[in-house]
Amino acid sequence: MRIGARELKIEKRPSLSGWHAALISIGALLVALLLFSVLFVLAGVDPLEAYRGIISYAFLNPFGLPLTLNRFIFLLLCTNAFIIPYRAGLWNIGMTGQLYMGALAVFGVLALLGARRNGSVAVSPAILIPILLVVAAAGGAIYAAIAGALKGKYNINEIVVTMIMNFIAFWLVSFMIKEGGPFMGRGGEGESFQLPEALNAPLIAGVPFTLLLALGLALLLNFMFARTTLGFQIKAYGKSPAAARYAGINPVRLPILVFAMGGIMAGLAGYHYFAAVPGVYKITSNYGYYGDLAFYGIICGLIAMGNPIASIPVALLFGGLSIGGRYIQGKLHMSFGVDYALLGVLMITLVGFQYFYNNQIVLKTNRESLNKESLDVGVHSPES
Amino acid sequence: MTKELLAGRERGATILELRGITKRFPGVVANDQIDFEMRAGEIHAILGENGAGKTTLMKILYGIMQPDEGDIYVRGQRVKFHSPLNAIELGIGMVHQNRKLVNAHTVTENIILGHPNAGRVLNLRRAEQEIDELCRRYGFKIDLRAAVWQLSEGEKQVVEILKALYRGAKILILDEPTSALAPPETKKLLSSVEAMADDELAIIPFITHKLPIVLSTSHRVTVLRGGRVIARFDTSSATEQSLAREMVGREVLFRVERPAVETGKPVLQVDNLSALSSRGFMAVKNVTFTVREGEIFGIAGVSGNGQHELAEVLAGLRKPEAGKVTLDGAEITDAPPLARWQAGLGYIPSERNAVGSIGEFSLVENVAMNYYFDDKYARNGLVDYANIRKLTEEMIVDYDVATPNADVKAKNLSGGNLQKVILARVLTRGPRLVIANLPTQGLDVGATEFVQNKLIEAKKNKAAVLLISEDLDEILAISDWIAPMYEGEFMGILPADEANRERVGALMAGLKSEREAQ
Repeated sequence: MRIGARELKIEKRPSLSGWHAALISIGALLVALLLFSVLFVLAGVDPLEAYRGIISYAFLNPFGLPLTLNRFIFLLLCTNAFIIPYRAGLWNIGMTGQLYMGALAVFGVLALLGARRNGSVAVSPAILIPILLVVAAAGGAIYAAIAGALKGKYNINEIVVTMIMNFIAFWLVSFMIKEGGPFMGRGGEGESFQLPEALNAPLIAGVPFTLLLALGLALLLNFMFARTTLGFQIKAYGKSPAAARYAGINPVRLPILVFAMGGIMAGLAGYHYFAAVPGVYKITSNYGYYGDLAFYGIICGLIAMGNPIASIPVALLFGGLSIGGRYIQGKLHMSFGVDYALLGVLMITLVGFQYFYNNQIVLKTNRESLNKESLDVGVHSPES
Repeated sequence: MTKELLAGRERGATILELRGITKRFPGVVANDQIDFEMRAGEIHAILGENGAGKTTLMKILYGIMQPDEGDIYVRGQRVKFHSPLNAIELGIGMVHQNRKLVNAHTVTENIILGHPNAGRVLNLRRAEQEIDELCRRYGFKIDLRAAVWQLSEGEKQVVEILKALYRGAKILILDEPTSALAPPETKKLLSSVEAMADDELAIIPFITHKLPIVLSTSHRVTVLRGGRVIARFDTSSATEQSLAREMVGREVLFRVERPAVETGKPVLQVDNLSALSSRGFMAVKNVTFTVREGEIFGIAGVSGNGQHELAEVLAGLRKPEAGKVTLDGAEITDAPPLARWQAGLGYIPSERNAVGSIGEFSLVENVAMNYYFDDKYARNGLVDYANIRKLTEEMIVDYDVATPNADVKAKNLSGGNLQKVILARVLTRGPRLVIANLPTQGLDVGATEFVQNKLIEAKKNKAAVLLISEDLDEILAISDWIAPMYEGEFMGILPADEANRERVGALMAGLKSEREAQ
């Protein structure tokens, strides 16, 4: 496209800095909001008012903000459950199943300690809550490691395995909590028994402590990828399994390890939603909804380009928009699910904008200045 | 520009001309004002090191890339190629170095694939007759009904050439035509190329390092360096020295010293080793040999005779079927790769992009591939990147790697520079055993000399060196022992002073005794 003596051209981008990636994502967000305002206009709603409502409820309102934060914690854990195997070039689609197994492990331990029968346990919460965290992590890790082992040992596609294992876990939960199941609640209303009140996760300013846990783990993962031997091995395997094997990285152990680590994250997400969110404290009858929500971890992980730090703002945004969207839908009496529609449009634009990860728009003045480019011996792009 | 000096016959007029071809990539001018012309019946070689701009020029000639500036004329007509189809229509054919053939199909099927006259219903018999006629005219011998996967590299190349000819090519681009061929195959190819030139075809071989072939076959040579035409010779007035000087920009000695080093203890002992190929046939059959401190053991052979599988077994990347391998007296037959690295192995793989390096990694991270398990560079589970960066920067200086800094991604380095990084990374560890699998394949004259000297240096430092090469001259130049390999077996193990080109060439072609060779 020409504008006077200048010309707009699309060129290949030689490299992408984290800073550029963030700018591209913000651009995508703005475009998504612009596109979605068309839907608001068609529904007879003033888009500015709608967005003001969404944002103020999600991030400023004393009722909305805790909801956003609880959802954020859940999404952040699910995102990192996806990111760890993703950095090793493997796809964990099984956060759903893994978080169910984490939750089942927690309620299993409680059932063994008599919580279902007595409504309380004899062990001090200061000891038992850390144990429950470990148990949730282990439940997710062991379940996920099965997929990793099948991948590493027999090269069975991990996407298919984790996907199938989601269904197994879903029906297992159903069996455990529905009528006659070992974790059935007292009323038998298709829910698990209630977490003993003493074991409700401690709150910090009204938010479960799992917030610090999820943020801390994201920072820890970032450190792991940047500095540790294990992080190096994961990255090497992710970029080139053949080269990693040449360099002595164990091609069977590594997939097991990254899936187990991802499973830890998902298992903790299960603990968070069913044992730490105020007002829940049980495996609810609509547990499938949270399982579906876990899939947003994949989207968030891809948008964050596998970076655990970048996953923090992304998960916060998705958590906030889904809470705010649902609120505004009720408030303005809209006829469609604003939360999922908004996330859907955002997802599509973010994916579309990934084009700019590899390409950039440049403004050129004239051809003369180009000829002065130096010849850089040794380093050369598409050549040879 | 020099005058046409073709002996004897009056040759055709100019059929292809490039004027002022320029192509830029971010940060690099790959082709800078290149002028070039071809006459019918001429073999005009284009010579240049890696990164000189050959690949770009080739892609422009064949319509894969479009030049930023400059014009192409075919038979005096200015033309613009939007895709290779345009180039093919104008009679330009390309023989790729990385063969682009369908392995499961027969030779004939591959040749007619995509041909406009093939139609919806194949007339294989008619096609076969036509192809047969081409074979007879230019002296190609090939079974048209064989499946491509059964063919040798040389035969696959013949299929590529026939494919271009069958589509009516009058101008034939050959990309590194002899790089994967054994000496006898090379000889056959060159006589066919001459027959085609006699038949008024114009032939443009692009060549990196086989200078003798340029001298013996071509009529003219154009030398590229840094994207420009540096020199143009009539081949009759060129020498190997003068070509190399223009290519590299300095004098190149075609002689590497082979110092006698006192050999010591055996380092690698291989006893009756057998291994399967990935396709499931026995690729290595009962191989037994020993490599000692301070010697280079060269395995000569045409690709596909089991050398690659042997190297992989020794590096721990392939399971042996039978036999025993020891390194410094300790058995490592079933040891995983990491244990071998720690025991003193240094493996330089032939696939430098796919296995030897990680393109998306920086040079620092690529160097870390051999140091992340080393106590000096990784402690308490943490990689000491600062220390590895220092090491990488030293390697860049010591091995003269052309790169702006240590943070450049490996994929942005040229083949020769990448190989230097891999070599530096492996040799700096001071390995007891160096396995170098095709270490100079695809490298230019300067880089080849460098790599060979480094292997000799490793030998002087008391390492045992196992060199696997398809380049017979390289094997003869630097090895102390030479084992020609054919169909998975060693055809003998000769000391360097008993080996010569003819003898080793015959053995690697599968002729067991010397009587057979004559």
